Amino acid sequence: MISRITHLGRRGCELLEALGRAGIFMAQSAVGVPSREGWHLWLRQMHFVGVLSLAIVLVSGLFIGMVLALQGYTILVDFGAEQALGQMVALSLLRELAPVVAALLFAGRAGSALTAEIGLMKATEQLTSMEMIGVDPLRRVVAPRLWAGFVALPLLTIGFSVVGVYGGYLVGVEWLGVFEGSYWGNMQASVDFIGDIGNGMLKSLVFAVVVTWIAVFQGYDLVPTSEGISRATTRTVVYSSLAVLGLDFVLTAMMFGGLS
Amino acid sequence: MKRSKMMELGVGLFMLAGILGLVFLGLRVSGLTFQAPGDTFRLEANFANIGGLKPRARVTMAGVTVGRVSAIELDTDWYDARVILELDGDLEGKLSRDTTAAILTAGLLGEQYIGLTVGGDPETLAGGDTIRDTQSAVVLEELIQQFLSNMISD
Amino acid sequence: MSDTPFVVVEGLHFSRGDKEIFRGVDLTIQRGRITAIMGPSGTGKTTLLKLIGGQLVPDAGRVLIDGEDVHRQSRRALFTMRRRMGMLFQSGALFSDLSVFENVAFPLRVHTDLPEAMIRDLVLMKLEAVGLRGARDLMPSELSGGMARRVALARAMALDPELILYDEPFVGQDPISMGVLVQLIKRLNEALGLTSIVVSHDIKETLTIADYVYVIADGEVMAHGTPQSLDLDQDPRVSQFVHGEPDGPVPFHYPAVDFTTDILNAGGGR
Repeated sequence: MISRITHLGRRGCELLEALGRAGIFMAQSAVGVPSREGWHLWLRQMHFVGVLSLAIVLVSGLFIGMVLALQGYTILVDFGAEQALGQMVALSLLRELAPVVAALLFAGRAGSALTAEIGLMKATEQLTSMEMIGVDPLRRVVAPRLWAGFVALPLLTIGFSVVGVYGGYLVGVEWLGVFEGSYWGNMQASVDFIGDIGNGMLKSLVFAVVVTWIAVFQGYDLVPTSEGISRATTRTVVYSSLAVLGLDFVLTAMMFGGLS
Repeated sequence: MKRSKMMELGVGLFMLAGILGLVFLGLRVSGLTFQAPGDTFRLEANFANIGGLKPRARVTMAGVTVGRVSAIELDTDWYDARVILELDGDLEGKLSRDTTAAILTAGLLGEQYIGLTVGGDPETLAGGDTIRDTQSAVVLEELIQQFLSNMISD
Repeated sequence: MSDTPFVVVEGLHFSRGDKEIFRGVDLTIQRGRITAIMGPSGTGKTTLLKLIGGQLVPDAGRVLIDGEDVHRQSRRALFTMRRRMGMLFQSGALFSDLSVFENVAFPLRVHTDLPEAMIRDLVLMKLEAVGLRGARDLMPSELSGGMARRVALARAMALDPELILYDEPFVGQDPISMGVLVQLIKRLNEALGLTSIVVSHDIKETLTIADYVYVIADGEVMAHGTPQSLDLDQDPRVSQFVHGEPDGPVPFHYPAVDFTTDILNAGGGR
């Protein structure tokens, strides 16, 4: 019994220590004056985590918008309220689905790749050799990736929302025959730019910070063996998915919970 | 060198698409308009009961959207609801003084909005005036109650 | 060549977890010489290089480079100090996202404001020295292990360091590239007046180029001297290592209980 409690305590200490290390790591990486060189590195990472994730995010967004419209229609039509379809599609996308699903896809597509890439650089001593040359790998390797992630995910979320709303339009208006004017009109009447789009973007920014942070830290902190890399990649996806879903609840409660 | 140019172009397009997407969301999805404040004018209307009317609800005239509800508050002089309407500037000085405002419902369970109907008074409403003739929201429970009491008295 | 030592290691203690890796190691590395540090695998030779490079901090003892204590420097001063050192890693550790040319140019771009034309000249000069000027546009993934190590050597020399640390330069090389590397290390050291520290367990190759040799085992310096004197050393442990005998004072078997007892116990224990 005592040993169980001791074990729990030790795990707690380890957890706190890891969190502390991650915090220091984040603080050391994210600050710093960007140079011309840094701008180039950032651009390269933007291409990697942003542009290359665009296809999967847009395709998923289209399908989710279409499914929302289909499901929403079958429910709303029972109440004769199918003209509220646009409102339903837009609100569920902007407030919840776009930030959350885009973040999950981002963790799977870009986050795991970031972990593996940095892990491999660590395993092949590239980080150590950079340090020996007199360059701080936190600045040179980690910082551009962090900042690229911070910017890319909100942009991807916007893309997801736009395509999702269009997917809802395709199914709702073009296929199921909801009146086009009421699809857009209802949407415009109920969606608030600050309250819905702004809060959705804020959520997405929080997720971007958390997912990129987890991915990059897992890569930097891993045991530099092939097994260590594969474990760290898995951990990135698991931890960031859990963090996104958990934080989503907290953020939703803070943003929309108090409203009537 | 060529590859890095392509990459820069890709990232540039990506960011541009993101910004355009945000503009699309703003204009098309949330119906944000960039009208100067001078382009609208305010009217007030008191209702005995606003039912489920919410701020930002549409104000229509013959089915055409001409403005929005900007605020709803309780008028403590009369204990009824004072609704502040934000209407298109074009209509200023064109609505007759006996214009009526009614809270209507789109469909059976749809959103509630305000419908304006012009009367025949030659005098017109200016910014800040109050619409006297109003018609409250239809509350389903009240309707049922009326219906039942009519049945019983019959 | 002056006789003042360039690198001095005094009473170095270091442990990782519960395992004691160094228990008081003293080394004196002369300027302009090739000093080899040898020892069986797993004696922490790479750790020793990391301690000298200031990447790890010892539990006790100190490392002086040109009279300055590596572990007493601020982060900034340490990075400045590292510009005077080059390190060749076991795997080469080339940056996989940069071409051969950019890899060698990397330290120059980071530490100097030289114009592009001069960087180009310097890089080509270094690549010529390792015989890979023609491979400048290749990516590290397209290089063989030996070539990667030569590129890494060119990169380590890019800033004209005074000290080069070689971590197992001969491991996993075919005889030809091994010969090339041995020649290169020797020639560069003579031509540029570098101080070199070679960590290795490839006895034959190392002894041909080293001016002075330290043998480390069990966390201590077991023997040191010139290659000739070590060859004649009477200490059975040293002679076992230097002559590569499979069994001797350094046992072939991992410590275990007596073989027959072990087998009988396992049978009876069930």
